[in-house]
Amino acid sequence: MRGLFTPVTKIRRQVFTEVAKFAFERPLDGEDFAYFYESSYRIIPGEVAKYRDSVFKERAIIRERTRLAMGLDMRPVGRHKNLTDEMSRAATGEKVLNLPLINVIPFACEACPTDKFEVTDNCRKCLAHPCTTVCPVNAISMGKTAAVIDHSKCIKCNRCLNACPYHAIVRYGRPCAEACGANAIGSDELGRAEIDQEKCVSCGLCITSCPFAAIADKSEIFQLVTAIRKKEEVFAAVAPSFVGQFGPLATPGKILAGIRALGISKVIEVGWGADVGSLHEAEEFLEQVPEHRDFLGTSCCPSWAMFAEKNFPEISENIAKTHTPMVAAAKRIKKERPNAKVVFIGPCVSKKIEALNDEIRPYVDYVITFEELMGLFSAKRIELNELEEEEFESQSSRDGRNYAMAGGVADAVVNVAKSIAPEREVQVMRADTLKECRKILTLAKAGKAKGCLLEGMACPGGCVGGPGTLLQIARAEKEVKAFADTSPYMTATDNPLEGLT
Amino acid sequence: MGKIIVEVCVGTHCTMMGAMNIIDSIHSLEEIQRELDEDFCEVEVRATPCRKLCGGEVNGPFVKIDGEEIQSAENEGVMAAIMSRCRSKNL
Repeated sequence: MRGLFTPVTKIRRQVFTEVAKFAFERPLDGEDFAYFYESSYRIIPGEVAKYRDSVFKERAIIRERTRLAMGLDMRPVGRHKNLTDEMSRAATGEKVLNLPLINVIPFACEACPTDKFEVTDNCRKCLAHPCTTVCPVNAISMGKTAAVIDHSKCIKCNRCLNACPYHAIVRYGRPCAEACGANAIGSDELGRAEIDQEKCVSCGLCITSCPFAAIADKSEIFQLVTAIRKKEEVFAAVAPSFVGQFGPLATPGKILAGIRALGISKVIEVGWGADVGSLHEAEEFLEQVPEHRDFLGTSCCPSWAMFAEKNFPEISENIAKTHTPMVAAAKRIKKERPNAKVVFIGPCVSKKIEALNDEIRPYVDYVITFEELMGLFSAKRIELNELEEEEFESQSSRDGRNYAMAGGVADAVVNVAKSIAPEREVQVMRADTLKECRKILTLAKAGKAKGCLLEGMACPGGCVGGPGTLLQIARAEKEVKAFADTSPYMTATDNPLEGLT
Repeated sequence: MGKIIVEVCVGTHCTMMGAMNIIDSIHSLEEIQRELDEDFCEVEVRATPCRKLCGGEVNGPFVKIDGEEIQSAENEGVMAAIMSRCRSKNL
């Protein structure tokens, strides 16, 4: 439920906090994970079920979530395995995250009906029954007490639903499948949601849309905290959508101070990497489009890039080869501090997949979300408001900061292109959510994007709508804009892009 | 027409447990009251820092409505309290 705080959100955050607390407080060389037997009782206390039919099931789900939050696989449902198995493997400062990243916890899934039309009690079996009249396949007949839909005939055209004067016809769908723009969610043999990993591009929207909290991604907070506690030098690269995410009193400078209070040595803006990306993409665009390539697609959203590659292979060559802002920022850190660890902190689930890529792995050690970071703050009892404001190592431009919003990336690239070649007109086509991305890629494939810059974002509203955020989209946009306007540099071209001090 | 003062704690724990969403839901009341065509009283929302109240059985989010404290606050409880206060003030 994007934008709403529900028990689903609460449970997810409670699990992060439990894991983070243990990560900070355990004896570093300890092998005792019995703490996690108690975790599910701390989160679900008592004998009466609060969220589901059984308190035992509630706790069982928490236990699998705990494993995922430690970066481990879930346990098989039909075979015995101890909760704490492999936890000693997770207790390291090295990367343990592996595929699959996004998991359906099978027994938490309620096997919602897939797309289906049903007649509800609202039906009064009226004389006019326009539902039958408008049905193009004669799938509706009048039963004894109400209209009846023959599902074998129904083609899901919505006509009956729109025609009924009593709003008696509803369309049931699976929230996870409806949210999935990649059509990656099918069913297992028990009718429960199952992710087709071949199609999934890890945007994470199913995670926030499942009302039964049955889908979760793995986390790297445990390994990050372990590295910090082992006195590794850890740098953080923070995505531009961070502004406002931690409450109205947590200014950017205080958030920065909070991240450092976790034991992180330096924090840089991923917006800096966005500026690097804008310069490259503008150059690539001016050089290649339209002579050598029909159009150029932006590269910063990994789900969009993966989506294009998997579904539109014939045109995916047109997605820019530029490093994403995350990688540009991480490379810069590793260049100057080869032994430092780098954590990317953002709104994004798909960055976790990006960082598993063999080429990127050497630069980005961990990827965590804002929501997971909040769990770390809470576990360490860091009150952001009480900290002294700090400043970023070096600043990104206004345009780099606006990468957080749909439209921001294209604007940034266009502004650079304009400064290099003022005579060039750059047409922009853009889309947010993968459903919309599919539309513009279909147009592009049909040759209708000649000379265009295509900006694609998997999340609604861009990164500010990512699954790892805490703030509702409209307010997040406002906060991002306000912070962007404080930058001394307007566009990427203005940014001197100095190195680390 | 009275004015209701709502103080929402936005410390770390309260924010994590939904304080920002509570603020959003309070702001949404204005729209509801307009739709219902009710005289609405002014609601002033203040984001307040952590008061270190959490511990044991006592947990955030903490919300004070005209000085009256609600703990483990949820959207629905806060909105209902403000709506009923608003209506009684307008009588």
